[in-house]
Amino acid sequence: MNIIEIRGLTKDYPLGKTIVHALRGIDLSIAKGDLVSVMGPSGSGKTTLLNVIGCIDLATAGSVKIGDRELTALDDKQVTDLRLHRLGFIFQTFNLIPVLTSTENVEFPLLLQKRLDRKEIRRRAEKLLDDVGLSEYRRNRPSELSGGQRQRVAIARALVTHPDIVLADEPTANLDSATGASILEIMKEMNAREQTTFLFSTHDKNVLKYARTVVNIKDGLIDGN
Amino acid sequence: MELICKIAGRNLWRHRGHSLVIGAILFLGSLFMTVGNGVVSGMDRGLQRTIVRSFTGDIVLLSDKHESDNVFMEMMGRAVEPIEDYAAVRAVLEKDSALSDFLPIGKNMAMILNDEDGPSAFVYLLGVDFGRYRKMFPGNMEILEGRFPVEGQTGMLLPLWARKEIRDQTNVWFVPAGAPMGLGLDTSHMDADARKHRADMRVKNGMVMMGFNEANTATDIRLNVDGVFRYNALNTIFGHFALTDIESYRKCLGYFLASEKNQGKVSGADSALLSMEDGNLDAMFGTDSLVVTDKPAAGLSGPPVRKSPPREAVSPRPQNPPAGASVKPAAMDLDQGAYNLVLLLLKNGVNSDAALAELNARLKQAHASVRAVPWKKALGVVGSMATIIKGALFVFVSLLFVVAVIVIVNTLTMAALERTPELGMMRAIGARKGFIGGMFLAETAMLSALFGGLGIVAGILGVGVLSLLKLTSENDMLQLFFGGDTFHPLLTAGDIVLAGLQLAFVTVAAVTYPLLLARKVGPLDAIGKE
Ligand SMILES: Nc1ncnc2c1ncn2[C@@H]1O[C@H](COP(=O)(O)OP(=O)(O)OP(=O)(O)O)[C@@H](O)[C@H]1O
Ligand SMILES: [Mg+2]
Repeated sequence: MNIIEIRGLTKDYPLGKTIVHALRGIDLSIAKGDLVSVMGPSGSGKTTLLNVIGCIDLATAGSVKIGDRELTALDDKQVTDLRLHRLGFIFQTFNLIPVLTSTENVEFPLLLQKRLDRKEIRRRAEKLLDDVGLSEYRRNRPSELSGGQRQRVAIARALVTHPDIVLADEPTANLDSATGASILEIMKEMNAREQTTFLFSTHDKNVLKYARTVVNIKDGLIDGN
Repeated sequence: MELICKIAGRNLWRHRGHSLVIGAILFLGSLFMTVGNGVVSGMDRGLQRTIVRSFTGDIVLLSDKHESDNVFMEMMGRAVEPIEDYAAVRAVLEKDSALSDFLPIGKNMAMILNDEDGPSAFVYLLGVDFGRYRKMFPGNMEILEGRFPVEGQTGMLLPLWARKEIRDQTNVWFVPAGAPMGLGLDTSHMDADARKHRADMRVKNGMVMMGFNEANTATDIRLNVDGVFRYNALNTIFGHFALTDIESYRKCLGYFLASEKNQGKVSGADSALLSMEDGNLDAMFGTDSLVVTDKPAAGLSGPPVRKSPPREAVSPRPQNPPAGASVKPAAMDLDQGAYNLVLLLLKNGVNSDAALAELNARLKQAHASVRAVPWKKALGVVGSMATIIKGALFVFVSLLFVVAVIVIVNTLTMAALERTPELGMMRAIGARKGFIGGMFLAETAMLSALFGGLGIVAGILGVGVLSLLKLTSENDMLQLFFGGDTFHPLLTAGDIVLAGLQLAFVTVAAVTYPLLLARKVGPLDAIGKE
């Protein structure tokens, strides 16, 4: 079963008087539980693709389905709720709320969801921090953590709601290669353990070994495959 | 909610610089606002005490024929027209449940004749029934020399200020009848200049006055000074107004006397008594023909002004006539004669604008030939000054508002822009617009409650301290500002609530724009534009 179904997706950006065709007709299906790496050179459209899938940006044309929901038909509130309940995000930078501790950052989406009681929320957050190896840093604020530790908190936060898909745009770009490798290792582990679909972008060929599926993208089109 | 407050609180601490700037403005703003409210309230109460409850009442009635509303302070203005149908006016006033009291008075200018060929002096006369006057304005004055006139007798009270002015112009110093005029002269309330010229000034205890009315038909009267007094504030303004009994005033202005009107109705013994009174009065002036009783029939419809004899007819005036001659038999209705104004006091808590409008409507309905004006209008420039000072304070506080709002808007906007990536990230991981807005609102509300609250408390303390200092002033401008001779800023519970509301208003006004800006931040802003 496919968790993501993309048909004829295009994305244009107006740039002064010209138009940049960032995506030029993407067809892509991603199976549930897959660990997908979107590969491509700089400017090929990786970020654009992930943003459209993550409802952070709107498609110009085409269809994007997550599960059975067509994204292009949703309003701001529905899109926000979809992000809250069914998606997880790991950004390159600005991942965490500076004034909250690691635990509180991980709890944040659950508190927004208002589905569970405080005790259960705390329990889940601490469990996920343990899973990413940060049990000793529960009470630290982001400014007291290293870049790799911050990305691990972001992974924990992305997973805490049991989302359908976790989207990560170059999660390792700001890290040294060893730390980056450990982050991808954790993602792979979580993918295996939680059956969560992961979709991450990179232009680093060395990380390919962590992916189960590789999608090559070039000039806004899927390349080869 | 808890989450919003937690994040908001920590953000305030994290951005301490911003928080402190906004907090300081909110603190100072509410401090000044509270003190400003206190000063305005104190001024209001002071003006009530020193003007409304001491001199003018809340509302002043005057004749329709008189053009200007400014009946008290128009120094070069026309004489105040008499009210011709006071009986009808009184009938309306007696039925008005908004009034706690009212007092008809005579008010016009009189010349104090100088029996030596020197210059004359002028004084404003308020003709009153002394008994009703005292009841209407209890404790509005302090008798410094002599005594308060006996009710029902002729009498005059001279203000300290008018006495000084008269001496400046005529070199005559008035003392109450019966007070030592030579060796034992009371100098305790003398100004420095008068003291210097003590040896060559003339001392008298009675004066001959001629009133000014529109028809130039006034007569001379002679009155003894019963007492010298000081109003409890604004003496350089109110000190021009001497008080006389209403019948002497009417005689002076050439108006119809109550005794004359009464005469038309009463009969037999009363009538005889009245003629005897008239005789006494004439005797007082030392002539039989001074007052020409050119009386029309009772129930006349013309203006209650009668012709006076030509000025030349006035005979030499005695220096010391017998004091306290009675002009009012016990049963006489003083309201039968003419008045110029009626001063009205409203009951506590009555809305004066509404009461005024309603009263004017009723007067019109009764075809009374008077109109009602608020005390501020009747006081002319003095009334306007009070309004201007209040207005200036209001403008000052409003300006503070605007400045506070601008600085806070600025600071918050900067904060919103600075935090765009963070806000965008929160939006990306599922926070709705309302959450972001709520966070901003919570931050500002917390600052406002803390610092603004402290400011209000400091303002309350400040007003208390100012009040305890009991600042006093002899200066009339300051007295107007103080609303009396002592500065008594005052905070009512209403004022404190008002300060709270103003603070809330500032907060909402200041947060609206940055809040809308923050709400616009979308998840895409989290990624930033590389
Ligand atoms: N907001 C925008 N306005 C205009 N053009 C844009 C915008 N965002 C992206 N583009 C253009 O769209 C194309 C694809 O950009 P995108 O950011 O998706 O590339 P990328 O593969 O993520 O590159 P990188 O590896 O450098 O991150 C580029 O040519 C870029 O210049
Ligand atoms: Mg990119």
